[in-house]
Amino acid sequence: MLTGSKTTFKVRQMLPDIKERMLSQSGVSARSRDVFGLRCLPGECVLQRAVMVRKKLTAREGRGWVSGTLFCTHFRVAFVPQDSPKPDDNADPVLLGDHDVALASIEKVVVVGPNRTKLVTPNSSLKFTPEELVLYCRDLRVICFLFDRLTPDAQVIEITYTIAKTYQPPKPGSVLSFQNAALGSVEMKQFLSNRRRNTHMIWFESASDWEQELERCGATGWRVSSVNDRFEMSTSLPRCIVVPQKVLDTELKKSFAHFNEGRIPRWCWRHPRGSDLLRMASFQNNIYHEKDDIRNLEMILFGCQSSLCVVVELGEELPSPADIQLAHSRLRALCLGDISTSVSVPDDKWLSTLESTHWLDYTRSCLRKASEVACLLRGGHLTVALQEADDRDMGCVVSSLVQVMCDPHCRTQHGFQSLVQKEWVMAGHRFNSRINYHRDNDKEEAPVFLLFLDCVWQLLSQYPSRFQLTDDFLLALHDSIHLPLFSSFLANCQRERCKRSQNPGQSYTPVNGWRDVLHPDSSSDSSDPPLPSVWDWSLQYSKHRRDRFTQPVPPIPPLQPLLNGNLNTNPDTHRLTDTIPGSVFLLSRGTFSCPSNLLPWRSGSSGVYKKSHRRAPSSENVPGLERLLKAWALAEFPQGLTSTSGPQGPLDPYEPLLPLLMGPCMGLWRECYLRGALHAQAFSHPISANHPHPVERLAREVQQLKDKLAQVSTDPNPPAKTAEPRRTDTNLNQNTNNGTFLFPASRSQSTTMPRATAPPPTSTNHQTSRGPLSASAPSSRPGHKDNGGSNKHTFLFGHSSVAEARPDQRHYPAPNNAKLPKSNGIQTAPPHDRAL
Amino acid sequence: MASPVSVYNSNALDTHISSSSRESLKMELLADVSLLPGEERIIDKETIYICPFNGAVKGKVLITNYRLYFKSVDADVVVMLDVPLGAISRVEKMGGASSRGENSYGLDITCKDMRNLRFALKQEGHSRRDIFELLFKYAFPLSHGLPLFAYVTQEKYGENGWDIYKPIEEFRRQGLPNNKWRITFINKNYELCDTYPTVLAVPFKSKEEDLRRVAAFRSKGRIPVLSWIHRENQAVIVRCSQPLVGMSGKRNKDDERYLDVIREANDSTKLTIYDARPSVNAVANKATGGGYEGDEYQSAELVFLDIQNIHVMRESLKKLKDIVYPNVEESHWLSSLESTHWLEHVKLVLSGAIQVADKVSSGNSVLVHCSDGWDRTAQLTSLAMLMLDSHYRTLRGFQVLIEKEWISFGHKFASRIGHGDKNHADQDRSPVFVQFIDCVWQMTKQFPTAFEFNERLLLTILDHLYSCCFGTFLYNCESARDQHEVRLKTVSLWSLVNSKMEMYLNPFYTPESGRVLYPVASMRHLELWVTYYIRWNPRIRQQQQSPVEQRYKELLALRDEYLKKLEELQLSDSSPSSRLANTPNTSSSTSSTPPQQYTHLQTPL
Repeated sequence: MLTGSKTTFKVRQMLPDIKERMLSQSGVSARSRDVFGLRCLPGECVLQRAVMVRKKLTAREGRGWVSGTLFCTHFRVAFVPQDSPKPDDNADPVLLGDHDVALASIEKVVVVGPNRTKLVTPNSSLKFTPEELVLYCRDLRVICFLFDRLTPDAQVIEITYTIAKTYQPPKPGSVLSFQNAALGSVEMKQFLSNRRRNTHMIWFESASDWEQELERCGATGWRVSSVNDRFEMSTSLPRCIVVPQKVLDTELKKSFAHFNEGRIPRWCWRHPRGSDLLRMASFQNNIYHEKDDIRNLEMILFGCQSSLCVVVELGEELPSPADIQLAHSRLRALCLGDISTSVSVPDDKWLSTLESTHWLDYTRSCLRKASEVACLLRGGHLTVALQEADDRDMGCVVSSLVQVMCDPHCRTQHGFQSLVQKEWVMAGHRFNSRINYHRDNDKEEAPVFLLFLDCVWQLLSQYPSRFQLTDDFLLALHDSIHLPLFSSFLANCQRERCKRSQNPGQSYTPVNGWRDVLHPDSSSDSSDPPLPSVWDWSLQYSKHRRDRFTQPVPPIPPLQPLLNGNLNTNPDTHRLTDTIPGSVFLLSRGTFSCPSNLLPWRSGSSGVYKKSHRRAPSSENVPGLERLLKAWALAEFPQGLTSTSGPQGPLDPYEPLLPLLMGPCMGLWRECYLRGALHAQAFSHPISANHPHPVERLAREVQQLKDKLAQVSTDPNPPAKTAEPRRTDTNLNQNTNNGTFLFPASRSQSTTMPRATAPPPTSTNHQTSRGPLSASAPSSRPGHKDNGGSNKHTFLFGHSSVAEARPDQRHYPAPNNAKLPKSNGIQTAPPHDRAL
Repeated sequence: MASPVSVYNSNALDTHISSSSRESLKMELLADVSLLPGEERIIDKETIYICPFNGAVKGKVLITNYRLYFKSVDADVVVMLDVPLGAISRVEKMGGASSRGENSYGLDITCKDMRNLRFALKQEGHSRRDIFELLFKYAFPLSHGLPLFAYVTQEKYGENGWDIYKPIEEFRRQGLPNNKWRITFINKNYELCDTYPTVLAVPFKSKEEDLRRVAAFRSKGRIPVLSWIHRENQAVIVRCSQPLVGMSGKRNKDDERYLDVIREANDSTKLTIYDARPSVNAVANKATGGGYEGDEYQSAELVFLDIQNIHVMRESLKKLKDIVYPNVEESHWLSSLESTHWLEHVKLVLSGAIQVADKVSSGNSVLVHCSDGWDRTAQLTSLAMLMLDSHYRTLRGFQVLIEKEWISFGHKFASRIGHGDKNHADQDRSPVFVQFIDCVWQMTKQFPTAFEFNERLLLTILDHLYSCCFGTFLYNCESARDQHEVRLKTVSLWSLVNSKMEMYLNPFYTPESGRVLYPVASMRHLELWVTYYIRWNPRIRQQQQSPVEQRYKELLALRDEYLKKLEELQLSDSSPSSRLANTPNTSSSTSSTPPQQYTHLQTPL
């Protein structure tokens, strides 16, 4: 034990390696080491520990207290409950356990003694033995440890000092040392560079990623351009951008100069009804010399829709980053009951104080703007271009919200992750400056992304059954933002991200080689550790926690990945056929206008445009457009457009989720902002974690039934007619696997599994295992019981999703249209639903 | 919970109105209204409903002796109104014969259930005179010598709701009488206290004459009697009215001794007296002969709970109505909500009840009173009992709780609601019971699996609090109910509820006995009951069904569908494999899953 008086404490030079020698016995070679029951990262040093500590559990964790050992390492404050299983030394390193908090997440350390509380700083000295240790975190968690009589006083004092001294005080430079503490060891570097990335999502780093997205959206007429491959056209745009097919790169190059930061209009998404969503920065350099210049600009802006373009100005009605920062800091102050200052808002002023933060106003205005855009897109066959001065904040918020509202794929975990990659990480949202990890840029700090997450939460809370992801997922993402470890957030654009992962001095990597750079070989041995992506969730969260990121049974049957862009069958769409080609309107404050200076090259000062386009801007389409917006206002009424959308969901899965924005309908994300408030032991479910909510239980039951059904329906035993159509669809497989249909899946599986090195069975359907199929597999274990409930029939067909879709179409009348749950609802909904 | 058929339908009341299709509209308007047995048409008339959400809607209004019914003529905008006359608190003429402007002449109706209705009529020929007079007459039957509709209706139910609460049985369930507490029939003829029930539980040691002497010292003779006893620690909740201390500070040795006997019954060190009022009000009550227990009660401690009186609550709800109807205050919603203080009052009631429950569960007997012991006292005792006793959290138990703590102990429903009475400005009216139901709703929100009943039950209760269709909430006390033969001549609301219980069951209910529920009484965690107070707003209605419940239903539908398909597959399967042999029904379909996982699942299938 360290010597040192309890009462007078001065900052001591505590060298980690000395401490480590004192406290950890095992060598450095193990991947993750067990130190006093704590599973350490390679190279992680335990600085101090205290036994017989109790941790206060949150509502989600089941409330109450749990006893265990508290640790402080130079990377985290860890807590190991008494009866937790012995760590597995062979397991992959996990950065944080369920009860841990990274030092970089801690904002404030407060101790509670008999009748007093004290804020502990690296320089403070304690004049009493703390009874409680409270860690206030940046992510709004408040973690509370209670010291028992049984905790040795020396340990209590020491660990308090150690935490106070080693947690990352907000200062430049501390981030790097924190990153090194977590990821800096040779083993960690090795481990991270061998990490495989999630292939279920699109990363939008390469041209093929974008092509995949174009295909998914059925967006024709667009192409991926790598004209910005060396970031020469725009430093903040990604290497690949999507532009109209008809514009050549040489023509494109001339356009960059006309936009702020070179952020020209780029394609983001296509609505199934054929409208395109674009983003761009404001116009600049309003000198247009050539006709061709203008022709190109118009082509880029109109994209594939020759007739109509609506420019949505994001500056006016939406909060500025400074507004967001102020609102968030007020919200923080309001929500974190701070016992050290014992200044908290009196309960009877809670509502008005909450209102005065304006946080909810800002979420509302973002949602409103996104709803307007969603309604415009629904109209079909027009281009909506979101314009923001620098196109790096609200452009991200609105474009991604629109997609969450309109595209069910974006409401799945992987779809959402792809969306964040596309509209935030790659699009150049300045995460690094906005989050201000280094505390060196307070002016730029603004949690724009957190505002976006709140908006998504509002949508989720109003339409919970339309999301596959859960609020646990949103919460995990919320918390991860505050951890300066992830490449996703530690840069302001792709260029910076690439720089960091490249060898210093290297400014250019060939197109075909740059992917490798993301996994730099360890030989380069730069001083900075490689940073993982935030989407590598297993680094942070246990399997148990990750399972809660998605609903057990996705509420909406998986959709065809391809939207053909021609879903324009709905009669209520007012197709704006009477449009004169080339009409441009500005949407601002809910009304459309066509100001003469909307497109600077069309305005009077520029003579070049007039020569080629004699036509005056037309306002004929304003009523048509306003109808589209009106639909959004009406949609809030039951007899409006959404009258078809009963609780079972609308007929059209692409019908946008339009949120209700009235005061009483906007909620506070209590699970996030109020989880730390010490005075509130509120919880939403009295049932503890080991006693799942009935909805969850039912969901699991449904999943099991579904698995079983899938299993049974591919069990082609008797009805030859079921096998027949499948055979035609999968003739490729049929040729190679002639005759396998005759055997029940479970049987062939029981024999092929041992030989096949197929991945372990999972209940997700993404597996594309092509296990060797022996056509002659006889039934060796006919009574084989049910363990195949989850692995189904996947290797009957080359591609499991095909196999998955077939039985669906055969036996379920209509798995992905809403007719099915609806008609079913009538039969099965509890009778009180019918009665009224 | 939203009725999918009509937009403006009052939700829980219209169970008898069949969903009319648009075809029938073209035929005889209003012909399809199915009336209750005993309900009679009084008048119908072409009119314009000035809908605050859709503008003026042409249609026809029908007035019966039970309801006001409106249906639009225009098939494009289906607007339907179905308002029990009992929900009307005020009918006024709007505009005069010479009024100018469109739709400025007609009727303005104020309802007790958070809405107002305006109808425009033709200005020519005093067209509103007859409808106004008839509406006025039937909306306030008691003011016109007519019977309440509960006495007129002939509706029959399979269940008899009057049987739900039997005082002796309820005491027996609590383990009474025992050696410390006895049942007394001293009030058999309402002689001791005319606002108390006939059956009372009092300390075993106290004799009948003691009770009489205590009654003399308690306002309205409402002596301390037992409401609830904790089975393990024998701590009790005792309720009463304020002591008649007066300006001179009178003492009553019998009352002091009586309270000490209550304390002794389970050896509490102190009897905690919860005076629901703010201390200022308690002091002020001395002027009118009332007051509070002073230092002379040596074995008692007094705590004021700071809950405001009925007038404050009435004004608070009125303010709330102003910001939610017809239009929801947009720009400063939260501060407007705060300025109504409604949630703050809810919070104080809840936190008072939490204190009571906490004291009792830690083994201390408590005595609860306010001024007369029929408003705030009923709120506190019933909420505390709801927290302490899981029986009251069941569908039937909750009915017992209301019957016992509210109805039998003389909450003055008739005065507070003003059934059939035209005097809309009566100072006795107050939404005390609504506030109680709101508190219950807050608890169901915080403990979604702890209650067997659902939100629909609470809405139904509140709707029939006004409707006068059932006898349950009529009159001020048991003696008045006896006198008017309520049990003989009217039907209980619980007859309706218990004859279709499945409508009112919470699918997520997970019985857990013995756990005390302490809700968080903080503004940070209380919510406005949007689906009650703002339910007339069509935008809100869209959201009425709880998303979780909705999801649950979707899952149930999905499960059924899978089960059916499994079954079908099996039928088509000529030689079912052994592992599927047992899948035709729900219970066995889950056989592959851990069986204990589903044992509590309350599927209403």
